[in-house]
Amino acid sequence: MRERLTRALCRMDAVELSSRADTPLHRLDARAKLLATLLFLVAMLSVPLAQLSELLLYALFPLLCAAMGGIRYGDIVRQSLVVLPFVALIGIFNLFYDREAAFRIGTLTVTTGSVSFLSILLRGLLSMQALLVLILGTGFYPLCRGMQRLGIPALFTAQLLFVYRYTYVLIEEAGRMSMARDARSFGRRTYPLPLWGELIGQLLLRTLRRAEAIGRAMAARGFSGRIPDGLRAPDRWQPRDTAFLLGWTLALTLLRLLRPAERFSDWITY
Amino acid sequence: MHMSDALISPAVAATAGAVSLILLGTAIRKVGRESRDDTASLPRMGVMGAFVFAAQLINFAIPGTGSSGHLVGGILLATLLGPWAGLLTLASVLFLQCLLFADGGFLALGCNLFNMAVLSCLVAWPTVYRPIAGSGGSPRRVFAAALLAGIAAAVLGALAVTAETELSGITALPWGRFLLFMLPIHLLIGIGEGLATAAVLAAVRRYRPELLNGPQHAGPSRRGVRRLLPIIVATLLVAGTFSWIASSDPDGLEWSIEQVAGTSELPAGSDAPHRTAAVIQERTALLPDYGTSFAGIVGSGLLLAVAFGASLFIRVGRRQS
Repeated sequence: MRERLTRALCRMDAVELSSRADTPLHRLDARAKLLATLLFLVAMLSVPLAQLSELLLYALFPLLCAAMGGIRYGDIVRQSLVVLPFVALIGIFNLFYDREAAFRIGTLTVTTGSVSFLSILLRGLLSMQALLVLILGTGFYPLCRGMQRLGIPALFTAQLLFVYRYTYVLIEEAGRMSMARDARSFGRRTYPLPLWGELIGQLLLRTLRRAEAIGRAMAARGFSGRIPDGLRAPDRWQPRDTAFLLGWTLALTLLRLLRPAERFSDWITY
Repeated sequence: MHMSDALISPAVAATAGAVSLILLGTAIRKVGRESRDDTASLPRMGVMGAFVFAAQLINFAIPGTGSSGHLVGGILLATLLGPWAGLLTLASVLFLQCLLFADGGFLALGCNLFNMAVLSCLVAWPTVYRPIAGSGGSPRRVFAAALLAGIAAAVLGALAVTAETELSGITALPWGRFLLFMLPIHLLIGIGEGLATAAVLAAVRRYRPELLNGPQHAGPSRRGVRRLLPIIVATLLVAGTFSWIASSDPDGLEWSIEQVAGTSELPAGSDAPHRTAAVIQERTALLPDYGTSFAGIVGSGLLLAVAFGASLFIRVGRRQS
């Protein structure tokens, strides 16, 4: 149990650390990266399942962005694999329900179902990779600020920052409680429901007490219900942000409309 | 239960996102009005979000199965904070899970907000939990309310996941069988969620009973629910029809060509070279209408390999410099 808590903390640390790097990707405005990622997702997810070859080309987006941010693409791929079991669970039925032949490689007939199954897996991997590159190349605070400047209400981004800040504290608290339980339980690793309820209930009560203390402390310092922008001046939108966003808009639009992979294969077959 | 981007089409994502955003906007307005009088409400919601986040990392054993489950927290948050603040808090947790842990897709966030936060805080809580629990006096009623509301939320969520996946045109599995596959699993998840919520609420009752007492939270009143319901139903109907139209023909481009030209295939020229090319194409490509071919996949793969090589080169170059 502690392992999962520790892993979550490590993961948050890793994001925090990676987002502090100074690369062309990190220097971009969070809004540009956010919008480009959204555009990528819309373009990629609108590719019909039958067009596996086109879908493959969309890997260029996470690949090139990762290279821009000095993030190892292999790591991104490895981290994105966690999405596979859930996606495969839903996609696997296509193998059985859709058995028409799509094409042959030698004597092997590939069914349309298996093409769409592979497409679903690829969609899962690619969307996950784009998201990972976005967060590792931006960081949580800049992303929240970017969302706020794109029009998400300040109350919600403030809430996100609160949750982010106190997740560290509460995961540590939960870790201490579960260590105390593990130390007294002689190797029994599971948490039966009544015990779990008691443990989580205690955590909840401590949480609420802490919330009251924080609320009083913040009120004493003049908190009026809004988190101020902070001392750092907000990032200015630079020409390079426009270039990044426009470049990807153009590339993704062309990729989506021109279907280069099939043109290429037609060209080979003729 | 977190949906991945792989399972939805942009049309479904956009409509679910619009519904969730409207409701989230309402929640932000309501909570914003309350927080003006009660400055402690913002830190409370923030810390409670972090609590749900941490609590989800500790699994409980499901008796007799050897497997384990974790809390989703919608009913718990709605009970302790009120439905609107609960919705806002759970939404922030889902945002954080999506962005930090890539748990659930970014485009699917609207769907996930709807399936997990909206359906539990704004539908299951006011219609199941509150009427059964009453003013929170009797432990037995709280237990029954938490259990049934947990089940209702999970089953509604499963229905929504099924509808969203089917409307996206992703799975070849027919509706009925997909439901047969999803419902039993989510019934179990719901029982787990309900029991877990009841266990936590029992602990809260024992130590801080005042947190459960009384209708201190002005949730959507009965009139409010009645006013909200037609809006939700209408949006869902429009959304459903829209995404059904959008995905019954999965390729929007072909669809628009069909609208313009009256046929989905662009007319082939009737001159001789064109005809010869068409004959060759029919001989070489096995299924000319199908969207992918082996050569296309190989071509894309080659291009990616080159791009990957180039990206390695860029990185190595940077390290040396």
